[in-house]
Amino acid sequence: MKKQISNLLAITVLSAFAWSCNQSDPKPKGDYVQGVFAINEGNFTSNDGSISFFARENTTSDADIFSTVNSRALNGGIQGYSVFDDKGVILVDNSASGQDKVEIVDANTMESLASIGTPDIENPRDVVAVSESKVYVSCWGNTGTYPNFFISNGYVAVIDLETNKVTKRIAVSKGIENMIYDNGKLFVGRVSYSGSNYLTVINTATNEVIRELGFNASPTPIGVDANGNLWVQAGLDLAKINPTTLEIVSTMKISSDASKTAGNFAFSNDRRTLYFVLSYYDANYVTHGATYKYGINESQVNVSTPVINRVFTGLAVDPLQGLIYAAVTPSYAQAGYAIRYRTDGTLVDSIKVGIAPTGFYFR
Amino acid sequence: MYNSIKKRVSSKGKQGIYALLMLLLCGSKVLGQTDSIQLNTVVVKGFSPQKYMAGLKIQKLDSSLLAQYRFQNVMDLLSTQTPLAFRDYGPGQLSTVSFRGTSSNHTAVLWNGLNINSPSLGQTDFSTIPVASFEELTVQYGSAASIIGSDAVGGSLLLNSNPTLKNTNITVGHKQGSFYNNSSQLSANYDLKISPKWQLYGKTVFYQSAMFNKYPYQERKRVALLPSETFQKGFVQDITLKSKGNQVINAHIWITDNKLTLTPDELQGRELTKTTAYRTLVNYKLGDFSARTAWIRDVIDYGKGDYSDLDHAVIDKFSNRMEYEFRKNITSKSFVNFHVGGEHNHYRASLVNYVDPIVTENRLDAFLLSRFQINSRITTSFNFRKAVITKYSPPITPSFGTNFVLVQNQNYQLNIRGNISRSYRVPTLNERYWNELGNPDIKPEFGWNKEIGIEDSYAIANNQKLQTSFSFYHNRIHDWTYWNPAKSYHVENLQQVLAQGVEGTIGWQQNAEMWQLGIQAAYSYTHTVQEKAYDSYSSEVVGKQLMYVPKHQFNLNGFVQFQQTALRIYYQGISKRFTKADNSRYLDGYNTINLKLSTKFNFNSVGLELQGQINNVLDTFYLNVRNFAMPGRNYSLSLLAILPFKKD
Repeated sequence: MKKQISNLLAITVLSAFAWSCNQSDPKPKGDYVQGVFAINEGNFTSNDGSISFFARENTTSDADIFSTVNSRALNGGIQGYSVFDDKGVILVDNSASGQDKVEIVDANTMESLASIGTPDIENPRDVVAVSESKVYVSCWGNTGTYPNFFISNGYVAVIDLETNKVTKRIAVSKGIENMIYDNGKLFVGRVSYSGSNYLTVINTATNEVIRELGFNASPTPIGVDANGNLWVQAGLDLAKINPTTLEIVSTMKISSDASKTAGNFAFSNDRRTLYFVLSYYDANYVTHGATYKYGINESQVNVSTPVINRVFTGLAVDPLQGLIYAAVTPSYAQAGYAIRYRTDGTLVDSIKVGIAPTGFYFR
Repeated sequence: MYNSIKKRVSSKGKQGIYALLMLLLCGSKVLGQTDSIQLNTVVVKGFSPQKYMAGLKIQKLDSSLLAQYRFQNVMDLLSTQTPLAFRDYGPGQLSTVSFRGTSSNHTAVLWNGLNINSPSLGQTDFSTIPVASFEELTVQYGSAASIIGSDAVGGSLLLNSNPTLKNTNITVGHKQGSFYNNSSQLSANYDLKISPKWQLYGKTVFYQSAMFNKYPYQERKRVALLPSETFQKGFVQDITLKSKGNQVINAHIWITDNKLTLTPDELQGRELTKTTAYRTLVNYKLGDFSARTAWIRDVIDYGKGDYSDLDHAVIDKFSNRMEYEFRKNITSKSFVNFHVGGEHNHYRASLVNYVDPIVTENRLDAFLLSRFQINSRITTSFNFRKAVITKYSPPITPSFGTNFVLVQNQNYQLNIRGNISRSYRVPTLNERYWNELGNPDIKPEFGWNKEIGIEDSYAIANNQKLQTSFSFYHNRIHDWTYWNPAKSYHVENLQQVLAQGVEGTIGWQQNAEMWQLGIQAAYSYTHTVQEKAYDSYSSEVVGKQLMYVPKHQFNLNGFVQFQQTALRIYYQGISKRFTKADNSRYLDGYNTINLKLSTKFNFNSVGLELQGQINNVLDTFYLNVRNFAMPGRNYSLSLLAILPFKKD
């Protein structure tokens, strides 16, 4: 899942803000110190994405905590949320050009600290916070209309949370999407309709592109397993990559049925199991499918028995309790749900969140 | 003035515009020489549908009201004068209507009797209709599909061109507003005796507006205002030829061009929507018989960035109509009118996203309308319409209504009315022919509208008048189409909607010798809900208020006038509007006040009208449908000069 928990090893670089707050207080204060954040994309033209929050013991959420705290909406589709230390970075993608931004918030209180708009940030897609000075945001740049949608090359913007400024734009080709950080390398995938089949590897020490890895379809990096291998989904292929040598160790088919689409991969907490959704459209354009799991040492992907017999628009596993959080989007015209399952696929409960949830962030 | 208009339009079609200017200029020269015997003759219009609308609520916005709004668009006018709810995307941007809780596809917009809703979208963008482009506006509430045809489900707006023959003149006007916004108009009313038998009346109008929207602030309460520019220009030509016998020919041309650019300074990401409409209509009336032929072309271009790759859509509508009306007297006080007719519409659309490069469709309507004046107090209407459309047909659409004058004496009149009507809406071309997502077999929507109303008028002493009205309606619409997000936005006849509501108005006016004052309050309650569940999560939508329709709307308009100087105040209160079908999100309700101060005076023979306007006097913060902030307090000043033609 693209919304990775940031590195929990604390790097004690205190920002001016944190200093002024209370540097000796061991426990941060705020309503959002611990709990689950649902990232709701919203309906694009309505610009009504939001971040919902609920404490793990609760079954109701505040659908739009940014509005609750700041008395104004984020005003865009929400493409990602990532936290480093006590600062959160929210990606806001407005339907109008020039109106996109990242909102930098106090992660504990959700109070807005700063925002960075265009031309630094244009069509932000994913955010990975590596350190205080290295928050990476993948951007499409300006887009056109179909079929010539990707009119610009993309870039990865590097944000320094101390100054709240973009310190570098790393040029990348078109259609970049989600990113995984591992051990000094940032792996940048492509959106399925980008027409680009490259996985870009960036050295985060130099912030330079060091390699473009080719696949048979647009690649989506998933994460690094318990053995240290990087997993990448490209169409219906699932590839295992050695992140040090950047060699493709193995590739296997998720399904041989070309009408199906695989997505929303998420690692279990022990990083030995992958959960994912395999879906297809029927003749009436209704989405069907199910959620499956795959053990990283299995020789093939078994899609005969689902772990949960339904499809989702987002999947994540809570590192604290180990429950599977699945996002449901009934439509862009009504609120979505976070549904909680145990790892064996049995239902726990469901919580109404914002519009079109696509992922979760856990604190 | 002429120069500026020439400059603006020269890029389009130089020769045509010069020819028109010549016509205008030559026309005035000729007109100066005519004697206008028939100056005050009222032009007989081809067909007045209102006659058959017994039991329906009809609100005619008079010419003095339209004059106050001559530099604004129809939405600005209707939002202060009616309970219609608008879905406003921002200043100069798309603005669609919800009439009595229905969707934007459920309001028929008729221009001289011709439906001008976009055939592809099935709706009208009210930001593209300036008040200057017509002379009469009638708002008809409730379903009148038997009389008007498709789309008349929530209500209808009847725009009519009717050159006022009281005055022959040239009018020049300009308005300058905040944010570098401006608009100007040039028009001429003229008449001409062509032959001993034939008289010509005409009106020519050019209008333009430029909305640069250069706000001195980029955000309000930390919510951004969306940068946008809108340039609008248009041309209207109305000609009536009237014989001394019983022949009348009306010819109308209306060309309007609207160019909207979102974020114009973002050269790569700016977004252009350019809509051009060519509307022409000729109506011939011989006694009780009339025939009409019309052609409309809608051209839409949409694109981003450098505009090298615009989506181009062209839709033509060819319309022919014939009708015959006759009256039969029964007794000295009772009579019956019958009106029979037929209309044929041919559509031809070329859109990139349609299944075929050219899509055509034929629609045929036949109607029989009747009106019985039973006695001086009771009028009833029975109307029937049958539409036949390529591949399918809506069922026969009947309606029945009655007006009853309950009390009538010197100072007081009390009317009650009631109407029950079936309605239908033919699916739009997009709904039928859009590649993949459309459905050629989609069914027409249909509904039943029931309503009752009561109106009274009390003439008090000292030239005072008190008027009140109440309406109650119940409108259930079946097979409501829905671009179903759960099925990748394929269109389906999924919903059933019940719209119910109450509208109340109370108005008081006093006319003294020098002074006039008046106040009118209007309140509407609109409860409009989806009734049918169609999948497991849609149960959360059932029973919820439809999106963007406020439950409560309140208008309070007041004016005080001393001789030719008037101060007008317009207050509007709108309750919260849900932005999601399950009502999980909403835009806050808001109150706005606009003020207008106007005065008229003469300078030699030239009549001058000066109007100052303060919009959003309270500096209210509110959001549009795109979730951007609307502008705060702003101002405009307009000057209009009326140059009468010399009369011998």
